[in-house]
Amino acid sequence: MKKILAFALTVAFVAGLAGIALAEDTYDIVKKRGTLIVGTKDASPGFGYIDPKTRQIVGYDCDFAAYLAKKMGVKLELKGVTSAARIPQLQAGNIDLVIATLTWTAERAKQVDFSYTYFLTGQKFLVKKGTVKSLADLDGKKIGTAKGTTSEQNASKALPKATILSFDDYPQAFLALQQGKVVAVTTDESILAGILGKAPNKEQFEIADIRISDEPYGIAMRKDSPKMLKFVNDTLLEMEKNGEAKKIWDKWFNPKSDQPMERGKFKITADRK
Amino acid sequence: MDGWFGFQVIWDNIEHFLVGRYPHGPIGGLALTIWLAVVSCALSIVIGIFTGLLCVSQNRFIRYPVLTVVNTIRGIPLLMVIFWMYFLLPAFMGMVVAESWTVIAALTVFTSAYMSQIVQAGIEGIPRGQTEAGLSTGLSRWRVMVYIVLPQAVRNMIPSFVNQLVSLIKDTSLAFIVGVAELTHVATQVSNRTMIYPAQIFLFIAVIYFILCFMLTSYSRHLEQKLAYRKGI
Amino acid sequence: MFNYQFDWSVVLTGQYAQWIVDGIKVTIQLSAVSIVLSFLMGLLIAVMRLSNVGPIRWFAQGYLEFIRNTPLLVQFFFWYFGSYQILPQGVNDWLNARDFEFSAAVIALTIYTSAFIAEDIRSGIRSIPKEQMEAARSSGFSYVRSMQYIILPQAVRLTIPPLISQFLNLTKNSSLAMTIGVAELTYQARQVESYTFKGFESFTAATLVYLTLSVVITALVTLYDKRVLSPTGMK
Repeated sequence: MKKILAFALTVAFVAGLAGIALAEDTYDIVKKRGTLIVGTKDASPGFGYIDPKTRQIVGYDCDFAAYLAKKMGVKLELKGVTSAARIPQLQAGNIDLVIATLTWTAERAKQVDFSYTYFLTGQKFLVKKGTVKSLADLDGKKIGTAKGTTSEQNASKALPKATILSFDDYPQAFLALQQGKVVAVTTDESILAGILGKAPNKEQFEIADIRISDEPYGIAMRKDSPKMLKFVNDTLLEMEKNGEAKKIWDKWFNPKSDQPMERGKFKITADRK
Repeated sequence: MDGWFGFQVIWDNIEHFLVGRYPHGPIGGLALTIWLAVVSCALSIVIGIFTGLLCVSQNRFIRYPVLTVVNTIRGIPLLMVIFWMYFLLPAFMGMVVAESWTVIAALTVFTSAYMSQIVQAGIEGIPRGQTEAGLSTGLSRWRVMVYIVLPQAVRNMIPSFVNQLVSLIKDTSLAFIVGVAELTHVATQVSNRTMIYPAQIFLFIAVIYFILCFMLTSYSRHLEQKLAYRKGI
Repeated sequence: MFNYQFDWSVVLTGQYAQWIVDGIKVTIQLSAVSIVLSFLMGLLIAVMRLSNVGPIRWFAQGYLEFIRNTPLLVQFFFWYFGSYQILPQGVNDWLNARDFEFSAAVIALTIYTSAFIAEDIRSGIRSIPKEQMEAARSSGFSYVRSMQYIILPQAVRLTIPPLISQFLNLTKNSSLAMTIGVAELTYQARQVESYTFKGFESFTAATLVYLTLSVVITALVTLYDKRVLSPTGMK
């Protein structure tokens, strides 16, 4: 028992030291380094995915990252992160910001700081055409989603009798839907639209009109960086004012795109949601 | 299915499989797989020899703790070691650790535990007479180990080291879990994007891994035979 | 993560503790079924590998080499996602209506581990003097029966230590089933971590369980060896 205690104390001590070492504001770290390292999705069409031609990560999230880096006057490095890895990666210091379809939740807000909402969507279900009319059609069935996401948590609340199968990312869950291994893939409508848009046989699928939650996306950073938080928030408001935010939205989600989405009344504002 | 039973998809993405996003982004695919395996192998040989020596130490206070750590690591899945590293490494290092180095650290820690067993068995396989002879010429125990026992033991261990490299190449596929863009990760990306070719894609990378590992396995068998032949004399 | 607050209640009580317990159950089921199947399959492949009939021997050899030299994770993906294209639609529908995730994991673990077990048993068989087989054959046993009653029981006994380590490897490898959505121990530990951010506690719990399982499996196989394979205690 003493040994375990000693070990735990050592861990706590070293962790404490590490805390001191990292206590510098992320904003200053980035400035000094000359590179902003942003974690984005690399398999979420529309937000962050690898363009097959250039093999670069591109998308809505990436354009926000690029604007932030430009404003700071530093180079941008994009790192692909999975859903479950987003926050641990940030806390480990591997990335400076998470701009990766990350929904604000009270639980997450205890771990990291969130910027103002830069994208708003809701959680729905992607299903084979005509198979699902209401939530009742889904309960007791197998539903696919991704590990470590709010979608997973919302789904198990909304469908207590369903079996939730969590994959490493959404396209893999969609592959399972294609193969009939799950009857629905559930996550934010925006992500579903992106997956559907890229599907080779999209006419066989649809997004069922069942909404189980609001999903406000924020940019996340480590808690010890008030300067970074202010910078990101100010920049977001600036982007809304100068029309850049709308331009990026239209670039990725215009009616002719693979995943058309109405911006509607959504605006980046200083209130959450 | 289009031509060649859908294997066209492999050719269309061959660059992605071999080097990932390089030169537009970080290197990945097969190249990263080999890099991860080779670096971890080199590191774990060094650490394995060192801990292996500690495991055969005469001093109980050294031997028991080291054996406990080695056996604990051997008792848990590599995936668990990766999660531990992911979680603890930044705390211990007090600095930023790239995911590929997190994976290398996990693979090294995991494989070192197995290497140290190989080293331990290798040392115990050298006849006691040699140690005694060395001691009787007035060399210290430490020198006997380093100059007489270890060189012979290491020569006998080389085939086992090669086998561990084979295990490592296969184990690098777990880097997929933490999003390191090695061969398996790249394969799932391509599979998810193209949707209808998982069998072709996974079969293809299985064959790549097979070619790599089988060459090494055959080489290690060849070495074993050569050693057996030498011992025969 | 920094200024970490330990909270062991997360993994000891309530909903999250229940998840860990569920995970333990699945890991045990998955490992137990796969251990039995991979042992039987390993025996079969080992015997095929030593067969006098060329094609059987070549098939077994090809199987061994290919399976042993390919990552298990890739095999998991192949059986789970790739099988869909190979199997007829009717079979796919049948599988998908059931717990195919678990079955695919069992298939992958069984095939992978059997290739290693077969090699161990083969070297066991080869260390049994040839004369025993000849004696069995001349006293009227067929090849299969001689294998079954005379050679294999002895070979398996000689193979016990490597078998234990293969079974332990299998139990550890069952953690890979998380990648195809099987909610086993590692999956649940990670779930607890991503819901509560208490990684240290949940990983510690999972680590201790795996260590316990290793000890239990070693003890069980040793007991089986003593009680069933060599009941009279002869060596």
